[in-house]
Amino acid sequence: MNLRVVGASLAVSLKSFYREKTAMFFTMTFPILLILVFGSIFMDDDELHFTLCVQDLDQTETSAEIATALALTETFKITRVEPAIDAVQYAKNNKANLVLVIPKGYEKSYTQYLQFDNANAFATLTYVYDPSSSSVVTKMQLLNMVFATMNQGLSASPPFIRTAQISIHTRRYRFIEFFIPGIIAMAVMTESLFGTVNVNTELRQKGIIRKLSTTPITRADWILSNILHQFILAVISTTAMLLVGYAVFDVHLEITGWLPIFMVLDVFMFVGIGMILTRIVKEAQSASAAANAVLFPMMFLSGSFFPLEMMPDFLQAFAKVLPLYYVNEGLRASMLFHDNGAALSYAAIIGAIAAIVFILGITVTRWEEGR
Amino acid sequence: MTEEAENAIEVENLMKCYGNLTAVSDISFTVRKGEVFALLGPNGAGKTTTVEIIETIRRPTSGKVHLLGMDVTKEKLDIVPRIGVLPQGFSSFDRITVRETLQYYSRLFSCRNADIDGLIALVNLTDKAEAQYMKLSGGLKQRLGIAIALVNDPEVVFLDEPTTGLDPRARHEVWEVLLGLKKEGKTVFLTTHYMEEAELLADTVAIISKGRIIAMDAPVQLIESNADYLVLTLQSVDEKAFGVVGEMGFAPETNNHRDITVRVAATEDIRKILNAMKDAKASFLGMDVRKPNLEQVFLKLTGEALHDGAFGGKGAK
Repeated sequence: MNLRVVGASLAVSLKSFYREKTAMFFTMTFPILLILVFGSIFMDDDELHFTLCVQDLDQTETSAEIATALALTETFKITRVEPAIDAVQYAKNNKANLVLVIPKGYEKSYTQYLQFDNANAFATLTYVYDPSSSSVVTKMQLLNMVFATMNQGLSASPPFIRTAQISIHTRRYRFIEFFIPGIIAMAVMTESLFGTVNVNTELRQKGIIRKLSTTPITRADWILSNILHQFILAVISTTAMLLVGYAVFDVHLEITGWLPIFMVLDVFMFVGIGMILTRIVKEAQSASAAANAVLFPMMFLSGSFFPLEMMPDFLQAFAKVLPLYYVNEGLRASMLFHDNGAALSYAAIIGAIAAIVFILGITVTRWEEGR
Repeated sequence: MTEEAENAIEVENLMKCYGNLTAVSDISFTVRKGEVFALLGPNGAGKTTTVEIIETIRRPTSGKVHLLGMDVTKEKLDIVPRIGVLPQGFSSFDRITVRETLQYYSRLFSCRNADIDGLIALVNLTDKAEAQYMKLSGGLKQRLGIAIALVNDPEVVFLDEPTTGLDPRARHEVWEVLLGLKKEGKTVFLTTHYMEEAELLADTVAIISKGRIIAMDAPVQLIESNADYLVLTLQSVDEKAFGVVGEMGFAPETNNHRDITVRVAATEDIRKILNAMKDAKASFLGMDVRKPNLEQVFLKLTGEALHDGAFGGKGAK
């Protein structure tokens, strides 16, 4: 590994990118445009509190505390639904996208769980929801978080629900805050994949790779300079996206050490996939087509734009085999939910996939033309 | 093999197969230090395969190839810094300028004090030094390619078809640069399908056809030993002329422009033909006598033309 050589190659590729003004403009501004467009569309929806319909079938003091706790988060504005009404019918008639149903016997199970230490006792709260609504998923995720926190409190110490409830984040989550991490993951993927595939097929087709193979630069030097190039672009465009997010939409996204980690993994994974495609695809034109074939399913099916919960079950299951899904979820876990545990497990999964793909990519990249 | 070999390149029984296809079949030759060696042959003869094996880009199927005394299959890392390569169909980074490109390649070779301006001047690109590669014409691109091949001050320079696809003027400009290299005493390995190029530049020419070397010598020697005759061309002759020349026992060839071409052994024959024409009152508009060139040598040896419309030397001069 010769760092001067890597540095010189990096400088050449960055200059080439910078001088190709149109490509640079679109690479950098497309994600920002997406954020502006989607952010404006969903802005009105999300500036308000979430309205949450709660139907308490138990009608006990304990069950009533759930609604109280939810109201305390200041995220939800609670509308009570009479127990006699059919929840599905109510949701349809009142255009409510979510009704939380607390089951009958909730207090009984709860008492069993706490006082008799019966770990098998549980209560199932039902979400009656409208899958066509864009904000319902956000609501459900928020509810999941609240309940997860409650459960944590219950199992960790003697019951004291109220404190557990108060510890819940008191701010509102907005669609744009879910959207931006997804767009960051997508933009880094697109740049890494297209950058690798386009540049390398073009250079190979033009014979530049062959020329380079008659100089002391090694395959490792070349690949490293490629990765650094993609990472620098990823940093620039992510910074731009976050600035727009903060300045225009006043998002609350936390930047921690996880952000660069996920970006690096994202770059490695898609540079690796790009190298594999470059090996398979001979011509520059079919290379973009192949890159698109990888890109589009990732973009639409891994939850970058649309929350996964809107999609049918088999597509949701499919999403979990798409590497981008883990980048999306990992970035959201770290930036939005401050959930280091989840971020770590997502990072581990992407890390493993990226390592495999990248090693495969290096192995199949042919530097010398002949055998 | 000695450490400082006398010959720059030694190729023994080199063979290269791609599946069932034999691209290069049992060829042997040596290139002395300081000479310009040309591998001349039509497209698909095995020129590029041969040169790329010597450049360490491809691996031979069998045979031995030594470059500056080093085995090309085992000592790539030591060989690469000592050679300069202009690959076939050379191309570079579109948006990088001439100067930046040379700086980049000099960094790849870790040449801290490469004389970039000197190289730019050597290939006559001084006024294009700040132009991006994509803005250069074909001839200028090739000249940049040659400068890149020289950036590490190599001991052996490989030029794989340096003028293919260039117009005649650009080709002459490239030749000027190559003549400069020859004067400097660089060892140059050239492949080409232009016989003029080989004739003008090379000290030794190896003619390659269908993967085999069929003749190898200095250009003058090759011509003398294979084509000991003169070619007389009479332009725009009338109908009588063809008969007159035919009756004299020569075998005239004719073309669409009513020119006839006759091979003769000596200048005396030319006088005889002209006298016979005069006696028969046959007319012609012009005439031209040429010594045969490598093209005819090639044609004689292989029965195939080097490239389309090649016969007769095209009159480029």
